Amino acid sequence: MRLQTFAAALFLIGTSAHAQNVAIVNAKAWTLTGDAAIENATIVITDGKISSVDASAAPPAGVRVIDAGGKPVTPGLMHPATRLGLIEVSSATETVDHAAKAGAPGAGFDVQFAVNANSVLIDLARADGVTRALAYPSSSNTAPFAGSASLLHLFEGGDVVEQARVAVFVTISNRSANSTVGSRSAQWQLLRAALDTAKTPSTPGAARTADSIALESIVQGKAPLAISTNRESDLRQAIKLANDYGIRVVIVGGAEAWRVADQLAVAKIALILEPMSNLPASFDELGSRLDNAALLRKAGLTVAMSLDGVQSYNAGLSIREGAGLAVANGLSYIDGLRSIMSAPAEIWGVADRFGTLEPARDGDVVIWDGDPREPSSAPTTVLIQGREVSLTTHQTELRDRYMPAIKSLRP
Amino acid sequence: MRTGWIRDCSRVGVALIAVFAGASIHAAKPSPPFIVDPYPSTYRSLPRTDTLIVDVTILDGAGARIDRGEILLRDGRIAAVGRGLPRDNATVVQGKGRWVTPGIIDVHSHNGTYVLPLTSMDRKASDVSETSDPNVADTWIEHAVNPQDPAFAVALRSGVTTLQILPGSTPLFSGRSVVVKPVPATNVRAMKFPGAVQGLKMSCGENAKSYFGDKDQAPNSRQGEIAIVREAFLRAQEYRDEWRAYSNGKGKQPPKRDLKLDTLAAVLDGDIPVHMHCYRASDMTAMLGVAEEFGFKIAAFHHATEAYKIPAQLKQAGTCIAVWSDWWGFKMELLDAIRDNAAMADAAGVCTMMHSDSPIVGQRLQIEAAKAAGAGRRAGLDLPPEHVIKWVTSTPAKLLRLGDRIGTLAPGFNADLVLWSGDPFSIYTKPDRVFIDGAVVYDSAEPARSPESDFGLGRPEMGGRP
Repeated sequence: MRLQTFAAALFLIGTSAHAQNVAIVNAKAWTLTGDAAIENATIVITDGKISSVDASAAPPAGVRVIDAGGKPVTPGLMHPATRLGLIEVSSATETVDHAAKAGAPGAGFDVQFAVNANSVLIDLARADGVTRALAYPSSSNTAPFAGSASLLHLFEGGDVVEQARVAVFVTISNRSANSTVGSRSAQWQLLRAALDTAKTPSTPGAARTADSIALESIVQGKAPLAISTNRESDLRQAIKLANDYGIRVVIVGGAEAWRVADQLAVAKIALILEPMSNLPASFDELGSRLDNAALLRKAGLTVAMSLDGVQSYNAGLSIREGAGLAVANGLSYIDGLRSIMSAPAEIWGVADRFGTLEPARDGDVVIWDGDPREPSSAPTTVLIQGREVSLTTHQTELRDRYMPAIKSLRP
Repeated sequence: MRTGWIRDCSRVGVALIAVFAGASIHAAKPSPPFIVDPYPSTYRSLPRTDTLIVDVTILDGAGARIDRGEILLRDGRIAAVGRGLPRDNATVVQGKGRWVTPGIIDVHSHNGTYVLPLTSMDRKASDVSETSDPNVADTWIEHAVNPQDPAFAVALRSGVTTLQILPGSTPLFSGRSVVVKPVPATNVRAMKFPGAVQGLKMSCGENAKSYFGDKDQAPNSRQGEIAIVREAFLRAQEYRDEWRAYSNGKGKQPPKRDLKLDTLAAVLDGDIPVHMHCYRASDMTAMLGVAEEFGFKIAAFHHATEAYKIPAQLKQAGTCIAVWSDWWGFKMELLDAIRDNAAMADAAGVCTMMHSDSPIVGQRLQIEAAKAAGAGRRAGLDLPPEHVIKWVTSTPAKLLRLGDRIGTLAPGFNADLVLWSGDPFSIYTKPDRVFIDGAVVYDSAEPARSPESDFGLGRPEMGGRP
C-alpha cells in the first residue's frame, strides 16, 4: 500500500477535521448499493463521512490519498450479535458481564453500563475490519428475557457505545426450558403476558421500571424484539407473535428457518444466522444446513451472519468465514458481503449511516489484501469515520516479540 | 452394498487380524500384554474400480505440486502419479482443472463420543472422557464410539478420510485413542484403521486441576498434576520391569495385570505415542522435562497455542504440534494464542499440523491451514500451497505412524484422496469426490447416496442437507 499526500503535508497534521478527509484511489469498491464492484474507484471521505464514490475520479486537492492498489474496498464489517465488550476471557468470570442474575432486571437489563472498550477482543475485531457491532445479553434467570442490546461503534480509545437499548433479546429453547421455567410453552406465555402488560396503558402515577420501559419500546414499535431460537415450531410461534402484537421481530439463530422461509418473508422477519451450523447440535437444531442463508435470501429475506458467544474472540474473521461458506453453499457473492455489512445495519436500524459505500454514510471503510469472503484474506487498512485505526493487537505484539527467535532457527 | 463389502475383503485387514491373534497373551512365549488388541479392526473397503483421474492440479501431500497431472488408482492403492499414465481398463475421471490432494487427516476428533444431538444425558455424563479419576489410562475411547454420530458422515463428505478419536482432556491420563475411517458402520471395529497404533491422550494445565480441584480432589494445582504424572510413571517403570523379567523366564507367574499400567508401560516402551493437551509454553516445557526424566517421547502437543515461544525445545525433543488456526482467548491459558503460531513453528522446523477438536472445524481443516498460512505470509514467511497441504495430510499421517500408508499421493500408498471443486484452500471449494482405499465414499453428483447417520432417517428436516 502506498500512501501519498497531495498538497502540503503540514496541512494534515494535528487538525482532526482534516484527518478525517481521505481519498481512497484505485479501489475495487464493493459499494453494496449495486450487485457489482466499481473498478478503479475513488472514495472520498469528508469530515468523517463518505462524500463520493466514483470510477476513475481524481481525488480532491488537499486530502490524504490512500492507493488501494486495485484491491477490494468495502464498508466496515458489522457483527450483528456479539458479546464484544461484555466478555473478554469467557472462563475468567472477572471479565464476564453478559448476563444478569436473579433479581436483576429482565427485559430491561441494559448491557451498555458494562461495555469495556479496552478489551483486547475489540482491538482484534477492529484490526479484522469490524467497525460496528451489536453487544447483546445472554439469557438470564428471568426467562425468557435476556435484556437490552447496545450498538457499538469501535472507535479507538473512546466510548464505543453508540446507542443503547437498540433491541430487546429473548431466548426460547429447550435448554433454557429445562433450566429455568420449564416448557417452552411457559416461555412463550410469559413473553405474551409481558407484552400484554406493556400494551395496557399504565395507571397514572404507577412506577415504571427498566423492564416495563423496555417492553413498551417493543409494543410501541421503537425497538425490535430479537428472539434467539432455532426450532421450526418456535419460528412459527415467533411469526404468530409478530402478527398478533404488530411488533418487529428479528430471529437470531434460526437453524430451521429454511423450513418456514415463505412465512417469514410474508411477516418480513429478518434473520441473524449461524452460518457454520450444519450439525444437529441439539434437538432444536436438527434441520441445520449450510444453505439456510441461500434458501432464505431466495425467499427475499434479509439475512446477516453471527457466530455467537465465545466466538466474539474472532468477531470479524468468523463472520467473514461464515459468509464465504454461505456463498460456497448457494448465497450470491454480493449477498455474502451484504450479510456481514449492510444487512446487519438494516436489521438494527442504522443503514442510514452505515453499511454501504455511498454519500452521507460514515467513513467506515476497509481495504483488503484479497477477497474479503476468503478467511485467509485480511484488512490492510481500516478507517473509522475516515480515521485510520491501528492494526496492532495483543497478537501482533506477541508475534513481533518472538519472530526474531523463529527466524534464527529457520532450517 | 453389504455383500460387496464382505466380498471385497482387504488384504491388509486380513493380515493384521492374523497378527493380532498371534499376539495373544496365551501364546507360548510370554510377552508383555501392553499393546495386545483384543478388538481388532473388521473394516472392509467399499466396492471399488480402478480409476484414472486426469487434468488435475495435484498437491501430493509430501511437498510436490503437479499441474495438469494424472493419478491412477488400482486395487485400492495409488499405482502412479504423473502425466501420460496408461489408461488400461481404469475408469477415467475428467478433472477439468480441479485439484486433488490426499484425504484430510484429523488427529484430534471427539466424533462418536459427544454424539449429536446433545442432550441432558451428555451434560451429566458425556462419553468424551471418564472423569472419575485423574488417571483413566485404562479406558479405551473406542468402547464409547457411536458410529451413528452424524458428525462422521459430515466429516466424510468434507474430505476427511482418517480420524483419530481422542478422549477428552479432563483427566491427566485420559485414555487410549482409536484411529478410524469415517465410513458408515454399525460398530467401531468396522471403522478402525487396520493395524493403526493407539495413542495415549494426556493433559496439562487448567482442565484437570479445575475439575478435580472443584470436587476437593487431587490435583488442584499444576505442581500437583506433575506429581501425579511422575508417580504414575514410577509405577509403570516397575511394572514394565516385572514383565520384562517374566518374559525373560524369571518367575513362573506372570505379573498381575493392571490396565492403567499396561498403557503407561507401552508409553515407556515407545509403543503408544503420547498426545498431550497443553497450551502454555511453561506447561509444555514442564511436560517435556517429565518425558525426558522417564525416557519417553511426547509425540505431539495438541492445541500448543504458545508453541511459537519454544520452537527450539520442541525441535530438540522431536515433538510435533497439532493446532487450530485462530482459537484463542476463552481460557486464561489461551490468552497468548496467535494466528501465526503454526506458520512460525513450521518456519522454525517444528513438525506442525492442524487439528480440529470440533466437528465443525473438522469439516474444514484445509481452511484452518489456509488461515494459518495467510497469517504466516503476512508475517513474511514463504508458504506455498504444496507445503501447506502437508499440515493436514502427510504430517498428521506420520504422527499416527501411518506415514508410509496414507497422507501422500505416491505409488503403494492407500488410495485415500479428494477431488476438490477447485483450490482446496479457498472457502468456496468443496469436495466433488472422496476416495478411501480406492472406493468412492462420497460423490457430490449423487447426493442421494451421501452417507447419513441412522439418526436422520424419518426426519425430513435432516434430509439432504449440505
